[in-house]
Amino acid sequence: MKDLILEVTNITKEVNSPEGALTIVQDVNLSIAEGELVSLVGPSGSGKTTLLAIMAGLDLPSQGSVTLLGSEITSLDEDKRAQIRGKDVGFVFQSFHLMPKLSALDNVMLPLEISGSDEAKSKAKEALIKVGLEKRVQHFPTQLSGGEKQRVAIARAMVNEPKILFADEPTGNLDKKSSSAITDLLFSVNEQMQTTLVLVTHDLVLAEKCEKVYELSEGRLL
Amino acid sequence: MIRGLVYGIKKFWFEVTSGDLLILFLSIALAVTAISSVGFLGDRLQSSMKEQASVILGADLTLRSASTLGPDYLSLANTQGLETAETVSFLSMAIANEDNLLSSIKATTQSYPLKGNLVISKFSGELITQKGSPPSGHLWVEEKISEALDLKQNGELIVGNKTFVIDGIIKDFPDRNSGFFGFYPTVIVNLDDLDAMGIIQTGSRVVYRNLFSGTKKDINNFLAQIQDMPSEIRSQKSEDVGEDMGEALESSTTFFNLASLFTIIISVISSMVAVRRYAERNLLQTSLMKVFGASKKFILGSQMMQLTLMVVLATLAGLGFGYLLQSLLIGALQGIITTDLPPPSLTPVILGFVTSFCVVFGVASPYLKILSESQPIRILRNDFNIGVTRNAMIYLVAAITMFVFLIIVFKNIELIFYIVGALIGLTAALFIIGKALIYFLSFFKLSSGIGWKLGLKNIVHRGNESILQIIIFGLSLVFLLVLAETRTDLVDSWTDTLQEDTPNNFLFNIQEYDLANVSEYLNTKAKIFPTFTPLIRGRLLSVKRLGSESLDSENIMEREANLTWKEELPESNEIIKGFWWKEGIAEAEVSVDDRVAKSMNLVLGDELYFSAGGTNFYATVTSFREVEWESFSPNFFFILSPSIGRTLPNSYITSIKIPENSSTIKDFIERFPTITNIDIGSVIKQVQSTISSASLAVQYIFVLALAAGILALIASIFSNTDQRKKEAAILHAIGAKRSVIFQAAASEFLVLGILSALTAVISATLLSAIIFSQVLEISYSPNLNILGFGFLSGVMFIFLAGIISIRKTIYTSPMLTLREV
Repeated sequence: MKDLILEVTNITKEVNSPEGALTIVQDVNLSIAEGELVSLVGPSGSGKTTLLAIMAGLDLPSQGSVTLLGSEITSLDEDKRAQIRGKDVGFVFQSFHLMPKLSALDNVMLPLEISGSDEAKSKAKEALIKVGLEKRVQHFPTQLSGGEKQRVAIARAMVNEPKILFADEPTGNLDKKSSSAITDLLFSVNEQMQTTLVLVTHDLVLAEKCEKVYELSEGRLL
Repeated sequence: MIRGLVYGIKKFWFEVTSGDLLILFLSIALAVTAISSVGFLGDRLQSSMKEQASVILGADLTLRSASTLGPDYLSLANTQGLETAETVSFLSMAIANEDNLLSSIKATTQSYPLKGNLVISKFSGELITQKGSPPSGHLWVEEKISEALDLKQNGELIVGNKTFVIDGIIKDFPDRNSGFFGFYPTVIVNLDDLDAMGIIQTGSRVVYRNLFSGTKKDINNFLAQIQDMPSEIRSQKSEDVGEDMGEALESSTTFFNLASLFTIIISVISSMVAVRRYAERNLLQTSLMKVFGASKKFILGSQMMQLTLMVVLATLAGLGFGYLLQSLLIGALQGIITTDLPPPSLTPVILGFVTSFCVVFGVASPYLKILSESQPIRILRNDFNIGVTRNAMIYLVAAITMFVFLIIVFKNIELIFYIVGALIGLTAALFIIGKALIYFLSFFKLSSGIGWKLGLKNIVHRGNESILQIIIFGLSLVFLLVLAETRTDLVDSWTDTLQEDTPNNFLFNIQEYDLANVSEYLNTKAKIFPTFTPLIRGRLLSVKRLGSESLDSENIMEREANLTWKEELPESNEIIKGFWWKEGIAEAEVSVDDRVAKSMNLVLGDELYFSAGGTNFYATVTSFREVEWESFSPNFFFILSPSIGRTLPNSYITSIKIPENSSTIKDFIERFPTITNIDIGSVIKQVQSTISSASLAVQYIFVLALAAGILALIASIFSNTDQRKKEAAILHAIGAKRSVIFQAAASEFLVLGILSALTAVISATLLSAIIFSQVLEISYSPNLNILGFGFLSGVMFIFLAGIISIRKTIYTSPMLTLREV
């Protein structure tokens, strides 16, 4: 049996709203093993993205704990969580979130520069070649199509060789053709690098390609 | 942190070229230009004033008396290693070729002058000496004497009982303006010839001066040892002279300081706006960096490094511009500064760096905190707006830091507190007015014009953002309007000092029987209608202090005083304490110049004991006057009430304006040979040149403040351009015509411009009133031309700059715009 890479215990997330306290995620328990491909599905507002953020250490729950790569990240401060993210976690977002003023190459170099890598440039170029963007290295995000932007985002997420990759609606902003290409890319890169993949999606076709599918409704796991 | 600093260095050039730091860079460069140009100028002027002060005295210290000083002070000074010299000055007729001229005779020792240049040349122009006194039996004369008496090299000139050989022409000499004698052309003779001339008798009007020069420490030691000298001996150090360096220079320096203070405040405003925009644009990046593992220290390090590099570059640019501007100012002030200026010191450079670091880190610290503490979850929420209201405490700390810095730099706590008070008041007023107007706008319904409706609605729905923009526009305009009013009034008040009809000639020794003849002559020949003022030669003997019965002769003026009497207060005088006498009073009263009163420690009710025309009498001090000496009318330290004045023998004095190159005075003196004329035309020209120099310098510095103001306005317009562009693109995408988008933007900027400019005009009037009365000490009446022009140009600028800022969006495909923002 594979080791657990992520363990979520009794997670609840509440936020204040003008109408009073609002529960977004309620009493969620789940665990993910190393190398697993997991998807979180559910309708809009079901709490998928919030759960992903808590699992990745981008946000803290109101109750419960998360153990990521052997560390209970819910008891760590932001800097310690950032350290774990920088070393072993990769992210792909629905809105790509590329730096508009940076070239594709510079965007991919960003995580390596933060970790102080000496080979940032060569590794970033290599990552861009892997995602098929060798001819778009010096292009800026405004000069790229949606699919190309997401390829850059995938290259940026994988360039650090993370142990776990979180993807929030990675095809949500793309047309059918681009979605399919990005899905293939994501899975092939994941296979090559033996990374654990946790993705949030509406796309049931994409979700079904994963080994495990968790479904959320009104903040609860079904 | 170190990794963050390295990352900051790597990304610096990229940030600079991307444009987000440009407005911040320019704001800092302008603030440094302002502070360093004024700093460089002040620094050099101060050094120059010290040198000039010594030149005015001809020494570092002088002792001056109406009676002989004796050899003791000189001997004591010599034993202490000080350099010494001696001069004796008096008026006498210089006679040659059966003609004569009243001249100031200056007898000097060989070591004269100790400071400054004495330049003597032969009639042929060949330089003779730059120091000392002529050999015994010889003398030097000023050109005015040689021309008037038609003198020649090695010719003869008689002064008193002695006939001298003329050795040369005096081209320049220090201590020229030492009192009344300075008006007369000068003759320099050897001190050894003093007795042979036989002019000085008991009661003669003579000034004896001992000159000393040495290190500051030695001078002070010497002064400490002679502190018990008799009260009739007056000491003057070069440091004391600086105070009299000229009103125009003093008020222009006040204006420079005020302008540089305002420029810094305006730059702080534009820096805040620029930093906010920079921070908002960097929030995505920092949040993303957090996602990818950047720590708080890493973010802080990289941001601080980028800002530090930007500050260093902007400061260097500002220092360069500051030095250039200072050179322009020095060029403009050549009319005022007569000596060569020493090179500037390093102080303004240090001040420039302190300013830029304080401004940037003062205004940026809240945003650095926000950026370094930004939560990575913002990425998933797509939330990249900075809520500034939650950070009131950080802003307060930043504001306090800024004002402590301003107090340290400008060393004028009172002024800074006025400005702080005004800033708080203005911000509060602009906030309240802005809020009220926006509330009012929400009820305002336009019946037609969808674009105009949208524009007004935009102002309302932007709420606090609109108010912030009104505050920033308003504050920048307020400071510019106040400076514009100050500049105009300052220049006007200087120019008023010298009207077209400012007298350029004084006529003395006019006797009662000549009054009608003089009037008639001047009326007929030159259409001049002189007014005559009685002139009484007197001497202040002592003071009977209020409540004391004994006479006190300590601290009183040691020499003869010219007195007058008047029924009414002269135009160029103002009573600042006490009352002018009522018509027909019988008591002997006297009104005293307030500066003289202070130097003599007089209070109202003291009795002054005078001697004039063989009569000794008491007069009670009933008022102190501020005298406008620059009016070039006959003015007096002491004015007597008519009841006593009328009983004293007097001659008359008048001041008249004679056109240049007119022969009126020459003819007048031939017709009235007993009347003495003093031509002060050259003094007037000097004052006019001073005024035009100061006015030009003030213009330069105003342009700098104007540039800072315009930059602040541009910065605030660009502060939310991204949001406007996005809204415009969305409107465009959903089918709004270009004209509608244009109307929406135009109406928004027009209304914002009107609201800001209106509140700015009202606020500027109030702030100007405070600054005029408290800082510049001149009366204030709102300058409607400037306020009107300021209002219109403010509205136009905001309107046009706003339209230009989104013009491209209106004519670009909405898809392209939405991709970019």
